Amino acid sequence: HCVLWTKEERYSNIHEYQLEHPTRVIEWTGEKNVCVAGYNLSKNEILELLLPLKLFADDNQGLCAERDFKVVHGGFTDGSIHCLKHIPGTRCVVTNDGSSSKLQVWDVGGDDCDVIKKTGDIHLKTASLDKGVKIDSPLTGNASVLHGSQVNDIQLTELTSGTPLYTLGTDIPDVLSSLRFVSGSVFLACSVNGDVYVGDTRSPSYLQKSPAGGREGNHWCMGVRADSSLPEPSSCSVARLSSSCQAVVSDLRNLKSPVCQAQLNVQRKTTSDEFLIVTWAPALDNCLAVSGFDGMVQIYNTASWRPELMEFQPIFIHRGHMMSDAHFDTSSSVVTTHVWHPSRPWTVLSAAGDGSVHVWDWVDNTTASC
Amino acid sequence: PTGLYAVPRSMHVSLSISSSCSFSGAGQDVGRSCILVSIGGKNIMLDCGMHMGYNDDRRFPDFSYITQQGRLTEFLDCVIISHFHLDHCGALPYMSEMVGYDGPIYMTHPTKAICPILLEDFRKITVDKKGETNFFTSQMIKDCMKKVIPLNLHQTVQVDDELEIKAYYAGHVLGAAMVQIKVGSESVVYTGDYNMTPDRHLGAAWIDKCRPDILISESTYATTIRDSKRCRERDFLKKVHETVERGGKVLIPVFALGRAQELCILLETFWERMNMKAPIYFSTGLTEKANHYYKLFITWTNQKIRKTFVQRNMFEFKHIKAFDRSYIDNPGPMVVFATPGMLHAGLSLQIFRKWAGNEKNMIIMPGYCVQGTIGHKILNGQKKLELENRQTVIPEYEPGWSLEVKLQVEYMSFSAHADAKGIMQLIRMAEPRNMLLVHGEAKKMEFLKDKIEQEFSINCFMPANGETSTVATNPSVPVDISLNLLKREMALGGPLPDPKKPRTIWRASLRLVSPEQALKELGLSEHQLRFTCRVQLQDAHSDSDTHIRIYTHLKSVLKGYTIQHLPDGTVMVESIVIKVSSSPEEPNTKVLLLSWSYQDEDLGSFLSTLLKKGLPAALSSM
Repeated sequence: HCVLWTKEERYSNIHEYQLEHPTRVIEWTGEKNVCVAGYNLSKNEILELLLPLKLFADDNQGLCAERDFKVVHGGFTDGSIHCLKHIPGTRCVVTNDGSSSKLQVWDVGGDDCDVIKKTGDIHLKTASLDKGVKIDSPLTGNASVLHGSQVNDIQLTELTSGTPLYTLGTDIPDVLSSLRFVSGSVFLACSVNGDVYVGDTRSPSYLQKSPAGGREGNHWCMGVRADSSLPEPSSCSVARLSSSCQAVVSDLRNLKSPVCQAQLNVQRKTTSDEFLIVTWAPALDNCLAVSGFDGMVQIYNTASWRPELMEFQPIFIHRGHMMSDAHFDTSSSVVTTHVWHPSRPWTVLSAAGDGSVHVWDWVDNTTASC
Repeated sequence: PTGLYAVPRSMHVSLSISSSCSFSGAGQDVGRSCILVSIGGKNIMLDCGMHMGYNDDRRFPDFSYITQQGRLTEFLDCVIISHFHLDHCGALPYMSEMVGYDGPIYMTHPTKAICPILLEDFRKITVDKKGETNFFTSQMIKDCMKKVIPLNLHQTVQVDDELEIKAYYAGHVLGAAMVQIKVGSESVVYTGDYNMTPDRHLGAAWIDKCRPDILISESTYATTIRDSKRCRERDFLKKVHETVERGGKVLIPVFALGRAQELCILLETFWERMNMKAPIYFSTGLTEKANHYYKLFITWTNQKIRKTFVQRNMFEFKHIKAFDRSYIDNPGPMVVFATPGMLHAGLSLQIFRKWAGNEKNMIIMPGYCVQGTIGHKILNGQKKLELENRQTVIPEYEPGWSLEVKLQVEYMSFSAHADAKGIMQLIRMAEPRNMLLVHGEAKKMEFLKDKIEQEFSINCFMPANGETSTVATNPSVPVDISLNLLKREMALGGPLPDPKKPRTIWRASLRLVSPEQALKELGLSEHQLRFTCRVQLQDAHSDSDTHIRIYTHLKSVLKGYTIQHLPDGTVMVESIVIKVSSSPEEPNTKVLLLSWSYQDEDLGSFLSTLLKKGLPAALSSM
């Protein structure tokens, strides 16, 4: 029996939950709410969960016993959910099943009903029909969604009318792994071969490409730290992660020359690249989290990284998904996704293939603090 | 089989006297369980809880719904209590002794043993400390418990000729049960509070595939997903460790059973692993009571506990010792488990008084505290406590006593309820035909209702408080039937029924009577119906010979029946008339005219089929 206890206090808070079905999406729909959804081939559930109130009680934590997730809204889908994005300023989320070019639009619901209902579909004309679509949504302007499965079909669509507002005019067929806004209209698209493209929804012809310069045959994904509520991009850090466990950090102003890079200390447990994810802590400096290689979430401090490739150790490892007091063997369980809380500096949510979802506040015990 | 009729019927589940609402005091949902079920003509009350959030009559269930129709004893066939929590049994003495009920009250053995203790504590707090008058007395609690009939697990108990009940293990707390109520072929299962995941001292709820017409489940926690046991325990151990490391004292007020053992086992393991030196104590009153109950109720705890306590005698822990009052003032860190659980009197309150003023100390409250207790006040964040002059029950308190609460207060809920996943698991186990969720808010459970209906293809009801749900069922209705009637219920053209063969008579409250009896009782006049039938035969005999041959044939086949050969040649079987005629044009063709009344329909049709086959060639003449 494994107890989460060591002499050194690693977590200030930790909560572990078991969903009936695993999720590969965690998306914030509020300061205390997230959406998760299943990825079975047929029927699945979408759930909006309220985080445990004890986490937010801060000074009054002792008097609050509430440790559980609450399912505040729930709905059913006919297919898998690989991608789920909340449209800011609305109660809408947009989903894609990872193998078709259709986007589904959902109303998560308000106080009067707890059922998540589908309000419509957006059928996309995409070049590749089986790659799955990446989604993002701008923080400002009318409710719209940026989507694409390849560089040449990136489009911004208005949500209510389905009208295309912007189409990237290019014929580059590279498959996308990540799509992210860095300001109200400037966005980054990362292809699986590591190239990052900068586009602007105000000018369809604008496109800037920066290769990753990594090894051939790798699968790459991207994490962006930026304040996308601003009309123009401010300082923006871009991290790219490869399937060979290499992380490259660049600045938006000069994507072609990386600021620093590192060979991460990871023993890959899975051959699949589909869960690789790299994220920046929104409220901490130089703090990077990676997952998808195995059952762990690793946190790195990039402040000590160098321009030349060297190996670095993580400053924190969350191993919770590898241990379980449930009856099934989780040693082969892979972390499917993780997210940082938008404002609480050390709060992270992670999910794994065994259906576990963890909420944890990690403690930075290193001298060089994030 | 004959005599049984399937009639669509319905069962009523009424929440008219039940209620639940959310109070922000101590962050816990407070409610009251009291459900009325009408099944097969029987009325059963499930739980009789007190609403802990109210101070006036609203805390009692409203029995006027029933009493308008007569006395409780006449109306109710029995009362069943699921477990000893006050929101399930707190109003029982009020109901039985103040409103008045003398019928049977069923609960498990541990519940019967523990209920009166909690009720008495609760009474003391309400009457002695809060000075209330409209409340039950100690004698009433005793008188109430005299009406209790204890239940064993999985044992069918006949409440009367038609009503039977059976208790199943529910987990949740010691002695908690889920109950199956059966009348004829209709049944209801009520879960009370239950838990589908085992904890350190209790097993998980279990029920067989009993396929009840309705499964009634609490749904207060239906929309939660529970944090893991590992994280809850980590939090507890972390708090204790932090306090002890800084030299502070930890007070854990507990009720004698269950949760206390669980926390002790946890601390003992932790102390061993971390090589901790600070002493842990358990108050002696606790150990005596606990030992006593343990011996009585060992079958109610889980496998692990049983094994542990076989190896060592219950509270012989390596690191946990018996407490003495003189230790209260000992310097240095320590952990103490003491009763009572809500800090309203006794040792735990005495210790609290001594330790509350030091911010290095900590108190961990492992459960809900009733309004009016110190436990309730400190869980609401109250930092200054005052004892009013009226409250002189506890002799060690001087009037004008006041206390500043500087120690750290931690509220940790260890009590387990079924979450959404647990409800689905239970439905999978029991396979009910309908589902009924109580005590949730309907608009917050639409998704769960959809989920249940989709996954199991059953109806899911969510009545609001004060509502009655009616669920259609399809039971078989056994009835008494007279022998003669049974005789006459034969399929057309079927084999000859043996008039002497005995028929089974079922015991039932419905009567199936002969038409004559029914006509007489209802004052209706009877009409006669006669049927006629022509049977053509190829037969060269004369008409009169044919009559004789018919008569002979029937006499040999229809043994036991009255067969007559009348002077005019007509053959009569019972009231059936058989006449032979032939036309001069076709002398070898005989036409048999059969005529019978409706009452002899079956025999008449038998005869017509028989005679259509023709008469046997060689017949000895009479």
